[in-house]
Amino acid sequence: MKRIYFLTISLFLSHGVFLLQANAQDLKRGEKLFEACASCHSLSKEDQNTVGPSLFGLFGRKAGALEDFRYSPALKRSGIKWNQQTLNTFLVDPQKSIPANRMPFDGIPNAKDRNDLIAFLKDKYK
Amino acid sequence: MVTKLKEVDILIVGLGWTGGILAKELGETGLKVLALERGDLRTTASDFSLPNIRDELRYVHRQEMMQDAAKDTITARNTQSQEALPIRRLGSFLPGEGVGGSGMHWSGGTWRWTDMDFKIRSNYEDRYGKNFIPADMTIQDWGITYAELEPYYDKFERVAAVSGKAGNIQGKKQTGGNPFEAPRSADYPLPPLKHILSSKMFGEASQKMGYNPFPRPSANASQAYTNPDGSKFGACQYCGYCQRFGCEANAKGSPHMTVIPIAMKKPNFELRTHAWVTKILKDSSGKKVTGVLYTNLTTGEEFEQPAALVLMCAYAFNNVHLMLLSGIGEPYDPISGKGIIGKNYAYDTGVGGNLFFEGKNFNPFISAGGTNTVFDDFHGNWEFDRSKPNFVGGYIVSSGHNTALPIGYRPVPSGTPAWGKEWKAATAKYYQQAMSITTRSGVLPNRYNFLDLDTTYKNGFGQPLMRLTFDFKDNEHKMGQHGADIINQMIATMNPQKSSKASGARRNWAFTPYQSTHNTGGTIMGTSPANSAVNKYQQSWDCSNLFLIGANVFVHNSAYQPTGLVGAMAYWTADAIKNKYLKNPGIMS
Repeated sequence: MKRIYFLTISLFLSHGVFLLQANAQDLKRGEKLFEACASCHSLSKEDQNTVGPSLFGLFGRKAGALEDFRYSPALKRSGIKWNQQTLNTFLVDPQKSIPANRMPFDGIPNAKDRNDLIAFLKDKYK
Repeated sequence: MVTKLKEVDILIVGLGWTGGILAKELGETGLKVLALERGDLRTTASDFSLPNIRDELRYVHRQEMMQDAAKDTITARNTQSQEALPIRRLGSFLPGEGVGGSGMHWSGGTWRWTDMDFKIRSNYEDRYGKNFIPADMTIQDWGITYAELEPYYDKFERVAAVSGKAGNIQGKKQTGGNPFEAPRSADYPLPPLKHILSSKMFGEASQKMGYNPFPRPSANASQAYTNPDGSKFGACQYCGYCQRFGCEANAKGSPHMTVIPIAMKKPNFELRTHAWVTKILKDSSGKKVTGVLYTNLTTGEEFEQPAALVLMCAYAFNNVHLMLLSGIGEPYDPISGKGIIGKNYAYDTGVGGNLFFEGKNFNPFISAGGTNTVFDDFHGNWEFDRSKPNFVGGYIVSSGHNTALPIGYRPVPSGTPAWGKEWKAATAKYYQQAMSITTRSGVLPNRYNFLDLDTTYKNGFGQPLMRLTFDFKDNEHKMGQHGADIINQMIATMNPQKSSKASGARRNWAFTPYQSTHNTGGTIMGTSPANSAVNKYQQSWDCSNLFLIGANVFVHNSAYQPTGLVGAMAYWTADAIKNKYLKNPGIMS
């Protein structure tokens, strides 16, 4: 039931999203926007999980997959695989997207901000 | 059996904000720095993450982050003629325990005290005459100036991610900030937090009445931020769990995610937790300290830890307690007025009123530690004439919800039954419709408010508990009456459907309910050994290699919360130790 609810929302949200091609300026913006995430998420393999799970190797990873991080049951159950679209949907309003996940972050309502942030993350690991 | 350990260069007792700042700054000298902390080590990742941290029973009612009153507490009474009894469950104040100390569970209120406070006696005597200050009000000038502290205020505000709006940058008044603040070299590192409805309504009403409202400066990051040391902050989520909780979003400036981890990366720094210091040791001359005695709480073993320099960075009460237990300095005697240690204990106080607006939805669950609007027209405003209300000091007036939690936050209009069906219906109805306006004033020290050793009760180590003799005096009652009148005028202006008016009625201090964790004084700062325990560098006059760092050096308490000053003075002292003391040990001038 929960899963159906989630899928409905994600379909609904993904309609409003247009994915821009990222240029250098967007990547710079994305890096700046990542400051909002940096106090809890590391990007380097060496300094892995902190308050939140490391984002190293995020793309293509299943949500809740890192063994040494204590995820919420909600995130583990979500069945999501992280890619541009799922991240974009999730980041609009994380609590609405995956209710009862334990990330204390109220989301990024602006589509361009999300796009640039995801472009930065993608670029980091290409 | 006491095991004597190898000497360290610098020993820090208590690792909260002050200990953390000193550890980080002095760790940079390369000297061997050891911190002894009697509590546990907590981190955001392991202790404050969701959903566990949002547990009102565990953190508010069972006081998980606070000192354990079963092991050590203080005894309290209002006057010397009474028998002091141990506070067996913390109430009026909640000192924290563990790495990070009270800096983990504070709200983040960060103010700059000015020369109005540091030159309190001269200022009042110059303006109101020598007889204005009551004979038993033991205030004196501090011997430190705002100009000396300004760079260190700035440093602390940047490290702790303080959000606010400047009122005076380099002498230029700024619209929207506190017009009465002293000139600051630069604006706050972060813009103010968002307004919530109650703080907005209060701001509009106070402006209409001719006051000067501004957002309360707070170490709650209003946006993601990296401080000058590289510590990373998330943006405040307005989750409502601030005071008494660790921050789940790394948005509240706390030592455990700023200065302490930086110190801990240094190979010359060592932290020992569960290490309970029972005594500061002196040499035979009595002019130098040689280290401390401590007990490892996990094994019960006792150690002597020698050190060249001892920095007392425990909670204000505990710094004073250890001075009394160690026999350093002369204990204060209120009858003769002689002695210093234990003198000028102060606290804070205030009055409040509640307003109930039909049809409003305040959403009190959306808040931060600093989602308040405040005005300073009756404190920082030196033009405010104190001669008529006849008090020294003043108060700030503020409103806005903070940490309004589901179990404890139940505002109802006066006249509502205290329990049962009607009470339940009223709490459900008024939860969304209530806001409050409060004042906050510093208690001015009084000859008969003091700390000493209890003659009856002992702690878990068989040592006498510290005894607090304290009550509100005339000056506090006068500030309370004046503040209640102002609040009631504001209630009339805001015109709610229902209200509970503020009362300035005379009252005694009681150790319940919670009032504030702003306990000050006991080892006060001053200009000579005759009038104080420490000099302006928080250095003991009795033993030059001992520093007593924290609100215990405050000569009096102010309407502003203490942490901004505690943080600034910790940085100021760290610099003095680095640049002066270590080059030329001895009393600094």
